[in-house]
Amino acid sequence: MVKLNSPRIWLWIAAGIVVINGFFPAVWILLTSFKTEAELTRIPITWLPENPTLQNYVQALTRAPIGRYFLNSLVVAVGATLLCVFVSALAAYALARLRIPYKTLIFSLLVGVSMFPTVTLLLPLFEMVLALGLRNTYIALILPHAALSIPVATLVLVSFFQGIPKDLESAAMVDGCSRLGALWRIVVPLSAPGVFTASILAFVNSWDEFLLSLTLLPSQAMRTLPVGIQFLQGEYTFPWPLISAALIIALVPVALVIAIFQERVVGGLTQGGVKG
Amino acid sequence: MIQPKYRRSFGDLSERALAFWLLLPAALLLGAVALYPVARLIYTSLFQRRLTDETGSNPVFVGFANFAQALSDERFWTALWNTLLIVLVTVPGALVVGLLLALLANLPFRVKWPVRLGLLLPWALPLVFAGLIFRWFFDSQYGVVNDVIVRLGGERLLWVTTPELLFWAVCISIIWKSSSFVALILLAGLQVIPKELYESASVDGANRWQSFWRITLPLLTPAILVAAIFRTITAFQTFDIPFAMQNGGSSFETLAMYVRTMSIENLNFGYGSALAVLMFLISLAVTLIYLRYVRGADD
Repeated sequence: MVKLNSPRIWLWIAAGIVVINGFFPAVWILLTSFKTEAELTRIPITWLPENPTLQNYVQALTRAPIGRYFLNSLVVAVGATLLCVFVSALAAYALARLRIPYKTLIFSLLVGVSMFPTVTLLLPLFEMVLALGLRNTYIALILPHAALSIPVATLVLVSFFQGIPKDLESAAMVDGCSRLGALWRIVVPLSAPGVFTASILAFVNSWDEFLLSLTLLPSQAMRTLPVGIQFLQGEYTFPWPLISAALIIALVPVALVIAIFQERVVGGLTQGGVKG
Repeated sequence: MIQPKYRRSFGDLSERALAFWLLLPAALLLGAVALYPVARLIYTSLFQRRLTDETGSNPVFVGFANFAQALSDERFWTALWNTLLIVLVTVPGALVVGLLLALLANLPFRVKWPVRLGLLLPWALPLVFAGLIFRWFFDSQYGVVNDVIVRLGGERLLWVTTPELLFWAVCISIIWKSSSFVALILLAGLQVIPKELYESASVDGANRWQSFWRITLPLLTPAILVAAIFRTITAFQTFDIPFAMQNGGSSFETLAMYVRTMSIENLNFGYGSALAVLMFLISLAVTLIYLRYVRGADD
């Protein structure tokens, strides 16, 4: 028997509170996704599925184009992440290593831009995309998504670059490497964890974004997951079996990535956040 | 090996020139997606321009008339008021819940990953998905919230269709979604508080409660302030959760929702821009306070 006043039981309770708080919405949706419509529309409601079914997943992938939404989200998020991290790495190296006038101002601008309300950029971006004839093309969303993650990616990368001893680079340059050569051969391999962290943050930002996606890629074939799943609400009279299955399909891949790389994600978040 | 000629050409760049070329791509992208749009927004806000009539192609300069219109627009004031209420409820709410989660997560667990994942999942969940999930929780017929209320002997509540209840359902969803990010920031702050402080305090006879008020809270204040300002800025932009919970409806409308409806749905670019400029200015003021605070903390 565990004694009630032993510290271990309080540790279990504390862990339980945090874990349940974090997991219960996902778990409830998972349970919902295995229930039939008949079971979901019964009162009182059931908690555990009585006759677990995969029917909702079949429906989500056939009747609703969740697979297509998934592909759209993936193309946009991967494109935005690659562009964002490449551009941010160049800027971060300059900010971490080179003597630049007005460096404080540049950092302030970066933080300031990251706090612009997205909705205020919406109309001008909408106009630009219309004028360029880019509405309902991936590039219309990749560019803004990449730009909106530049501040956080740059801040994370700056602190990683600063952690790499300058002597290593100087030694490489003495040995005949140019500055960019030293960047490519010394700094980039050593900062791979930082690049990776910045990539996850940029990816999640893009994967989660709703407002711009809704406005710039509105056609059914081009919708990203958040937009597509939100629209299921109006497209079906009782959409919840379908929505819950779609949510699980959308959540599992990202949840896995987060679970595997959680330490790096936490490190990156607090660097980008607290240091910001 | 890098070709000598290639190497020389980069090696010869002065430090300033190199910095310029390294910063240029980020500057161009941010300029096109953030700075130019703001300039364009301010410009458009001075015109009457609706895509639905001839002013769409021939905007008429009206000076500050759009702003004057906003000041007497009841819908604008309601949306602003709703947004302020969201800030006033969800920022303190997320800070209290986040602090609680951070204190719990900071206990000396042997296996750390379940607790850490418990904090990360809500952060990684798209806002719209949180809105949808809580909309289902708060469903008046088949929602789990009403189920629990009825089992406890209470009355079924019409969460989504009663305006005041909808407001609280939105707030609860936002607090759940944002408190884990607050917890992650506060957890990082808790972990840098030196353990010796607690040891010497307990030697001096302080109990846990006193240690919390005398050591933890004062040393955590900078992190709490940073989290508070971050939350204030994002709460002011609240859009996704109320949008998803009302399936795009606007019986409860935030400022961001009104700006989008006016510009994208009604295609009233001039007036929509003026509303966006007002929102931008308020947000900028909070950001400047934040920057001043961060710089003050660095010195």
